[in-house]
Amino acid sequence: MPVITLKVERFSKFIGKPLTVEDLVKWLPWIGFDIEETSKDYVKVEYNPNRIDFCSYAGVARALKGFLELETGLPEYSAEEPKITLTIDKAVADVRPYMLAAVVRNIKLDEDAVAELMEMQEDLHWGVGRDRRKASIGIHNIDAVTPPFLYTAVEPPSVKFVPLGKTEEMTLKEILERHEKGIAYKHLLNWAPRYPLLVDRDGKVLSMPPIINGELTRVDENTRNLFLDVTGPSYDAVEKSLKVLATSLADMGATIEKVYVKYPDCTMISPNLEPEKARLRLSYANRMLGLKVSADEAVKYLRKCRLDAKTIEKDVLEVSVPPYRIDVLHEIDLVEEVAIGYGYYNLKPTVPAAVTVGEKHPVNKTADLVRQIMSGLGFLEVMNFTLTNERIHYELMRITPKNPVKLANPVSAEYTIMRQMLLPGLMKNLAENKHESFPQRLFEVSDIAKINKRLETMCERRLHLAAVTSHSTANFTEIKSVCEALLMNLGIKNWHVKEAKHPSFLSGRTATIQVRDKPVGFLGEIHPQVLNNFELENPTAAFEIDLEQLMTRETSK
Amino acid sequence: MASLRTNERKTLMALHELGGKATIEKIAEKSGLAHAAVMRATLTLSTENYVKIHEQKRNIAKLSREGENYAESGLPERRLLRALLNLGGEADVEEAAHRSNLDAGLVPIALGWLKKKNWGSIQGQRCCLKVNVEPQSGSDEKLLTLIHEKGVVAVEQLDQQFNEALTSLRKRKLVEIEEKVSRELELTEKGWKTIKKGFKIVEEITQLTPELIITKQWKNVKLTKFDVTAPGPAVYPGKAHPLQQIIRRAREIFLEMGFTEIRGPVVETAFWNFDALFQPQDHPAREMMDTFYLANPKTGRLPKEKLVNAVAKTHENGWVTGSKGWGYSWSSEEAKRLVLRTHTTAETIKYLATHKKPPIKVFSVDRVYRNEQVTYKNIAEFHQIEGIVVDRKVTLRDLMGTLKTFYTKFGLEKIEFWPCYFPYTEPSAQAMVYHPKLKRWMELCGMGMFRPEVLAPMGIKYPVLAWGGGLERLAMIELGLDDIRMLYGNNLGWLRRTPLCQ
Repeated sequence: MPVITLKVERFSKFIGKPLTVEDLVKWLPWIGFDIEETSKDYVKVEYNPNRIDFCSYAGVARALKGFLELETGLPEYSAEEPKITLTIDKAVADVRPYMLAAVVRNIKLDEDAVAELMEMQEDLHWGVGRDRRKASIGIHNIDAVTPPFLYTAVEPPSVKFVPLGKTEEMTLKEILERHEKGIAYKHLLNWAPRYPLLVDRDGKVLSMPPIINGELTRVDENTRNLFLDVTGPSYDAVEKSLKVLATSLADMGATIEKVYVKYPDCTMISPNLEPEKARLRLSYANRMLGLKVSADEAVKYLRKCRLDAKTIEKDVLEVSVPPYRIDVLHEIDLVEEVAIGYGYYNLKPTVPAAVTVGEKHPVNKTADLVRQIMSGLGFLEVMNFTLTNERIHYELMRITPKNPVKLANPVSAEYTIMRQMLLPGLMKNLAENKHESFPQRLFEVSDIAKINKRLETMCERRLHLAAVTSHSTANFTEIKSVCEALLMNLGIKNWHVKEAKHPSFLSGRTATIQVRDKPVGFLGEIHPQVLNNFELENPTAAFEIDLEQLMTRETSK
Repeated sequence: MASLRTNERKTLMALHELGGKATIEKIAEKSGLAHAAVMRATLTLSTENYVKIHEQKRNIAKLSREGENYAESGLPERRLLRALLNLGGEADVEEAAHRSNLDAGLVPIALGWLKKKNWGSIQGQRCCLKVNVEPQSGSDEKLLTLIHEKGVVAVEQLDQQFNEALTSLRKRKLVEIEEKVSRELELTEKGWKTIKKGFKIVEEITQLTPELIITKQWKNVKLTKFDVTAPGPAVYPGKAHPLQQIIRRAREIFLEMGFTEIRGPVVETAFWNFDALFQPQDHPAREMMDTFYLANPKTGRLPKEKLVNAVAKTHENGWVTGSKGWGYSWSSEEAKRLVLRTHTTAETIKYLATHKKPPIKVFSVDRVYRNEQVTYKNIAEFHQIEGIVVDRKVTLRDLMGTLKTFYTKFGLEKIEFWPCYFPYTEPSAQAMVYHPKLKRWMELCGMGMFRPEVLAPMGIKYPVLAWGGGLERLAMIELGLDDIRMLYGNNLGWLRRTPLCQ
């Protein structure tokens, strides 16, 4: 989740009155923040990715001022009429088709504000731009260049400029090959014959979207006027990013000036900071929340959330949503705003009236029974991960791999496949507990995974039981007695054991457990080579049963 | 007197027979008791004031390992001497050494002592004997043999000659001196009186046997009185895993609250894990770095076309739900990819797609997966507690009440509900519990009402209350753990010694 660090002194200026760390810790959770860390002069908070407008001090302050009723209702954003034109060349249509822009006048920047601008940009790149895939932002010192501006696409080796943070000119091709941002984001461009470029009247480069800005338009504490550009293949994401950014800058005290954006087929005026209208049925809100608030109360709660509302017909409110609230998709989102304005802490818990009868899942009923019996037989339950690797699962067990369910993106070599049996896990448990006293008798009742192409998911999970006994005199007879006791207590009648071969077990001391003449499991003495593989020193006997097969075969006629 | 046990009586008798004063060793010999048994009896007898213990420190000489070797094969200088005698009294050092079969390291020692004992001399590489016949054993050799035969020798008992030999052998590190405390017991007045009164020794029985019971002989024997406070040897019962105990408790609480348990596949299509829950296909949670995708098998099958289309349109433009949708072009290929489910909500929504008649109350406590590096606070697979209530008129407050009941039954009292966000619920919240030890609020679970964009494609007409939270976090609070890996480490010591009840 995204994070913002609020320095209390600076944040207080946005609120307009002094606040303490304690104030923030007390109130911020009620508008959707998680307190991550606190110190004497700052609070680090996490916010939910849908509220990307919380990426700035101004954004957080807007919301908190409303909640504390210092300033409620819709923040108004006026923008001055356009003076500057941005032309979108049709050459960009095949690579990064959309650009919207805004001019920001008379911004006062200090060290903190410049740093914040950079952070906002990164948060928007991630939260709305999806790591620049859908949209990316450029913030420029407009006084270093001369409008009008042109967004075009050029042959990569044909243009040179000094990228931000460098001193030498590089061609677009070189930037993609050598510059750190070029390397990181080359997948967004390297398939295109021409790369996007934003230039001024004289061909000076503002930026090479979505990779890097030019050094020429670098923003620092002395910058007073900004040019914001947002490009991307998703018009929606481009527009949302710009709205969030422009409103935050307006709340920092700057004046927003619109820009003519000339596409080959139409001209638009950007940014659009008009509030959106949405309908909210009062009865719907009350029904979902379990409340009986009146229209006036609902308006009050919405205004606390920096929205505005008025009754337009019986039971229906028209809600005005500020441009930065890009998270509002549906009426239900406004219902939550009513709840937040009402205060979650004021919602008194109630218990649903429905009378229902609970029941265990049949598979888990079996699992519970088996756990009870195995514990009674003196076995200690272990719980292993279902993810494992081929070395432990097959190689150490002397088994050839049998088409396991395999991960495409394992996080480590230790967890690459899903287990097909439980026994290797128990062997590993024995290997890791050699220092503990013997006898060691362990069992596990859990899932294994198998490929089954008849199912929608192509895989099935099955409940297995495996048990091991390990000590100086462990043998076939001991484990067979345990197995018999288990089957007897589970009420299984039509079973017998049959001599069998299994690479993990000693031949002549291995058997399958047959129910109605079909194998449901195996038992035996572990092969000494397997014991050596796991570096075990005591004789070990084991069995493993597919419990789901066992129970279904037993009950089938 | 009546309180004395057999071994104590036997000790007292032996001491009496030995004249009222004797060492532990002697008493053991006389009574036939083990040394340790006499020691134990002595402890009681002296506390009860039947005997007095005199402690005496003695120095005991015993052979070092090297000393033992020499006692058996002779001192190196003696072995060299014999070799030289066999070679006619004079030979090359190397030859004599070879003949004597001495280790190379011992040759200089042997030569040194040969000279010192004046048995021979060395000129250059030659070695000449000064004696024609083999000299008798010196006092050092005699002492070596004596200690070897007796095992230990009391230093105080050695005469002047042997004392010098002892010094020499100690310098050669062939003999070690140990201080030993010998205890002598002496009958006290009370002890004497007791014995004069006379008592007989009845044999005590440690283990009651079937024979004694059947023959009723138990009436004629005395059963040893046990020290009931002595620790018993450790025994480890078979039992459920501590985490399983907590899973069981969570399931019991759900069942008590009238919920029915559901269970679904852990390998799931992205469709059920994400798309059906209105999670856009470019949502960060769907990235490879958060979710495990499968390489084998890679893709699964989608459900009925009608359902898939409804989901697709809802993502793209909101369909008939009144939502704006996510505004992108939905891909069925992306939805077919198989994942290890990242939450049990995948199973819940699948269940609701086919069970629509209210009221519905279902739950699961089951495994989910996240592509996480395993560390002290993260694991790649864990358990999620999931509950769902569907009814005609359920509300957010009902959800809060249900959760409050659930966690109160778990023993967690101080619970608050804070606003939160999940792509598939609105309104959403998180249940927070105050951790008194850590002095901070901890998230227990996420919760909310399923969004219309989730319900409409499934044809669900009623509000759905849902919540899901990690079980392991609860388990860590319960078991007082600060490393989550402990839960799956299967450390036998921990499993054996963790109580079933916390």
